Amino acid sequence: MRYAYFPGCSLSASAQDYDMSFRWVCRYLGIELQEVRDWVCCGASSAHATSHLLSVAIPAISLSHAEQDGFDRLVAPCLACLSRMKAANERFETDRALRKKINEVLEGGYRGTVKVFHPLEVLLNDVGVDSLGEKVAKRLPGLRVACYYGCALTRPPKVCRFDTPEYPMSMDGILRSVGLETLDWAYKTECCGVSMTLTRADVVVHLSHKIVRAAKEVGADVIAVCCPLCQANLDTRQGQIAEQYGERFDIPVLYFTQLLGIVYGAYSGELGLRRLIVSPQRALENYGIL
Amino acid sequence: MVRIQLTEDSQKLSREIQALTGENVNLCYQCRKCSVGCPAAYEMSLKPHEMMRALQLGLAEEVFHSGTIWMCLSCETCNTRCPQDIDIVRVIDGLRELVMSGRVDYFNPYPEIPAMHRLFLKLVERYGRIYEMGLAFIMNLKMVDPFKDIDMAWPMLTKGRLKLMPHMSGGVKELRRVVSKIRELEGES
Repeated sequence: MRYAYFPGCSLSASAQDYDMSFRWVCRYLGIELQEVRDWVCCGASSAHATSHLLSVAIPAISLSHAEQDGFDRLVAPCLACLSRMKAANERFETDRALRKKINEVLEGGYRGTVKVFHPLEVLLNDVGVDSLGEKVAKRLPGLRVACYYGCALTRPPKVCRFDTPEYPMSMDGILRSVGLETLDWAYKTECCGVSMTLTRADVVVHLSHKIVRAAKEVGADVIAVCCPLCQANLDTRQGQIAEQYGERFDIPVLYFTQLLGIVYGAYSGELGLRRLIVSPQRALENYGIL
Repeated sequence: MVRIQLTEDSQKLSREIQALTGENVNLCYQCRKCSVGCPAAYEMSLKPHEMMRALQLGLAEEVFHSGTIWMCLSCETCNTRCPQDIDIVRVIDGLRELVMSGRVDYFNPYPEIPAMHRLFLKLVERYGRIYEMGLAFIMNLKMVDPFKDIDMAWPMLTKGRLKLMPHMSGGVKELRRVVSKIRELEGES
């Protein structure tokens, strides 16, 4: 199992703990990653708000590098990168005129042969829940996890082609396979508002508050996430949520790869756990971690 | 009651959107599922289903003055639920594209949002990657709110989550060439 790896801007800066823990889990499970040569930003919301052509061309640059280097599979852990790259591939498939235009501007061209996956898809497809469960080194009995999926893992379903859009279960299935208890709740795919984080923080705090409160109400000890942007909002804004709504939650928000690393026996330093703003210490101290 | 007259002229905007995005706003029959599921609807003076109706009626001024297109988070909930399979986010992106390219010029209650997109792309063109610190700092200056989210900065810094200096991608020159070729293409059409 060999993948072109597109870490994206967040995992190279503010979300290095996601990068560290994902690489650690892949090494442990025998999944080989090779960083895409000279990758560039996916363009995120700003490219598709500006020009449709640009929103396809920018991710196609990195996809073409992976294709030229002989990869037919690429993994992108950030949901913004993932959705922009999946959308670019989908437009490539369905719009011949656009494909021709993009290939006129792209150096070396892109044939559209690189399939794009999220780490959750990779673990389910290539390792499978049975094998994931066999490799557990440490049990965390009683730890209750609310899996938060965000928007772009499953939406729009035509482009994402993974899991179910309104009530996904892929992350629940993976974490249950390694013995964790995951919870039934209604906010799995509610938007955290990240595209307004720099312009309308009030909207982001309002939406993040609803998600964090819902997780607490169903009795979650931690929230598990699969995107650096969701993580940033739900983790770093709990102080502002407390200030604005008078409710302090102090609920740690971990990447699902950090939880996997813990049950597979990684040291906390290898998973970047000290980078979390809300410390997971209290939730994890009973298990001899941290 | 004001009576709305549908004329050839009132179809101009919806035809333009259809040419640009392939989406036909006239398919909308006002079931309101988009507005019920929209996480940002509480901040919109014109809810998504109302925006669709306004587009059908050619009420361009109402659409752009509401700022709904900038309040949209592109979370794709409306698209996932629309029984008519209209790509509402694509319609909104088309409207944004009209503004960003200067083809329409209306009052916008949220000028900071398109300004953020322009800055974001400018930084991507400069470095090939996004420079989070620079983007946040310049954006705060633009909004004349230099200490916005400063309460988050200290914990982020001490936890090693702020990268102070930008990182230059090896692919930046190729990216700049691609972007400038696209601008040429779009200038022609």
